[in-house]
Amino acid sequence: MIASVAFRNFKALRETSLILAPFNLVIGPNGSGKTSLIESILQLRGLARLPLREPLSDGERRPETAEITFLFNPPFDGLEASLSCVSEAICDFLQVTPLPRGEGVDDWAGLRARLLSMRSYRFDHETIASASALRDGGELADDGANLAAVLAVRKQKHPEEFARFRAELIRIQPEYDEINLVEKTDHTIELGLRLVGSDEVVSADGLAQGTLYLMAILALAFDTSPPAIVCIEEIDRGIHPRLLREIRDLLYRLSYPASTGETRAPVQVITTTHSPYLLDLFRDHPEEVVITEKHGRTAHFTRLSDRADLSSLLEDGSLGDLWYSGILGGVPDER
Amino acid sequence: MKLAVLSESPADETAIAILMEAVLGGHFKHVHPGLRARGWPSVEQVLPSIIRHLHFNTDADGLVVVVDSDDSVVHTSEHEAPSYFHPQCRMCRLRAVFRQNTKKFPAAHGRNRIFRGVGIAVPAVEAWYLCGRDEQVSEAAWVEGQATGQQPYSRAELKFRVYGTDRPNLQLESRRALEEVRRQRHDLRRLENDFPSFAALARDMRSWQKNS
Repeated sequence: MIASVAFRNFKALRETSLILAPFNLVIGPNGSGKTSLIESILQLRGLARLPLREPLSDGERRPETAEITFLFNPPFDGLEASLSCVSEAICDFLQVTPLPRGEGVDDWAGLRARLLSMRSYRFDHETIASASALRDGGELADDGANLAAVLAVRKQKHPEEFARFRAELIRIQPEYDEINLVEKTDHTIELGLRLVGSDEVVSADGLAQGTLYLMAILALAFDTSPPAIVCIEEIDRGIHPRLLREIRDLLYRLSYPASTGETRAPVQVITTTHSPYLLDLFRDHPEEVVITEKHGRTAHFTRLSDRADLSSLLEDGSLGDLWYSGILGGVPDER
Repeated sequence: MKLAVLSESPADETAIAILMEAVLGGHFKHVHPGLRARGWPSVEQVLPSIIRHLHFNTDADGLVVVVDSDDSVVHTSEHEAPSYFHPQCRMCRLRAVFRQNTKKFPAAHGRNRIFRGVGIAVPAVEAWYLCGRDEQVSEAAWVEGQATGQQPYSRAELKFRVYGTDRPNLQLESRRALEEVRRQRHDLRRLENDFPSFAALARDMRSWQKNS
């Protein structure tokens, strides 16, 4: 979907660029641009909703302000999208330019439709646990607030999809054997999980945070019409380290659907983590790991696979340990 | 017999357990919860604590550890000589950890020490799964590749040959691992011949029956 993004003067991203893969795990210290990367894509989506403006003349350009430039993969590699910003953080102008070569030069409408389906998630266990109105059971909300309604609608309209979701959940969390979705008189849906071998149902507000996050991620991974791009911040939050492999598998299910026998289009995934345990799982695919580095007030991106000596480093240390040690970069400055 | 397995994933653990049953010729009890390590060198780092825990806090009779060799030096018959230790051989290193950590323990739970079982999958456990199915895959082929600088296959290729993808999920890994070790469990001679580092594990386990 998005092939690359180049930043100039956008927050801490003063002059850096990043080639994006189908799956991208972004690691780095706080304030080093992980969230800014996701925000830039959200700004692209926000401006893509509006009618395109005429290109700026050179005289109208504000060279000192922030600019973000996106290139895309086929079938849209014939277009470039540039955001101009009124400040270091707020972009107000989208310019789409046809490139000399590539596909989709005249298909801004097609690219726009894909960009509008982009979603960024920052799950919140308290909102996930709250009851949600059945009428809101379409697309999963950014904080997961309507998870109960999404599942209820899926169970009603797409029972096979729901059955696969359920089977996967109780495989990963074998202490439960059923999902309870109860419609109240005010047409809100309450979510609960039944403990295996009993009639006891644990209501959503009694479930572990990690279980609620896992359910939200599962709901995304088992959506048959997922967004074109999915960004998830702190994907490891609340998840036991031994379950991180399941989380990685679920994200791969989105990005590499063929690997699980799915026939839908791949979803581009951008996710952030501070977990060395999750990073360990990318030893065989360092090209999927992006390291953000911050020196002073300036941040930039590198790909883990760009390290020529990576394989020799891995002979004596795990990826997570190497990252923590500082030799891979992506660690906070210390006084 | 009560045994513990230290592995990298539930898929590996299940497959190793079936191979162990085949070697020992019967069922054994597992120590719970299953022991996990996050690949090399985490296995080597956590192993002393695991041996201590099993020896003093459980009634386990033995511990089986299986790790991938990746690109490390492969264990050969030369390494079996008394007092020989190759610092880049994972088999030698793990055996040394066992040796150093069991010799100083007093008897506990009615036994003097935990039995040792160390297996190194060369270069990865997927090579064991392909044994008897893919003629190109053997420990000798990998060692020859190391000598010539031209490996016959990569670890990613082995994954692809076993799973049909280099990004298998845990369920697929478990299913394929089970299929392949169930195929092999009735006759392990081919696996022991083509993968001497598996044969070393099998010898370890057979020695338990003599020494128990």
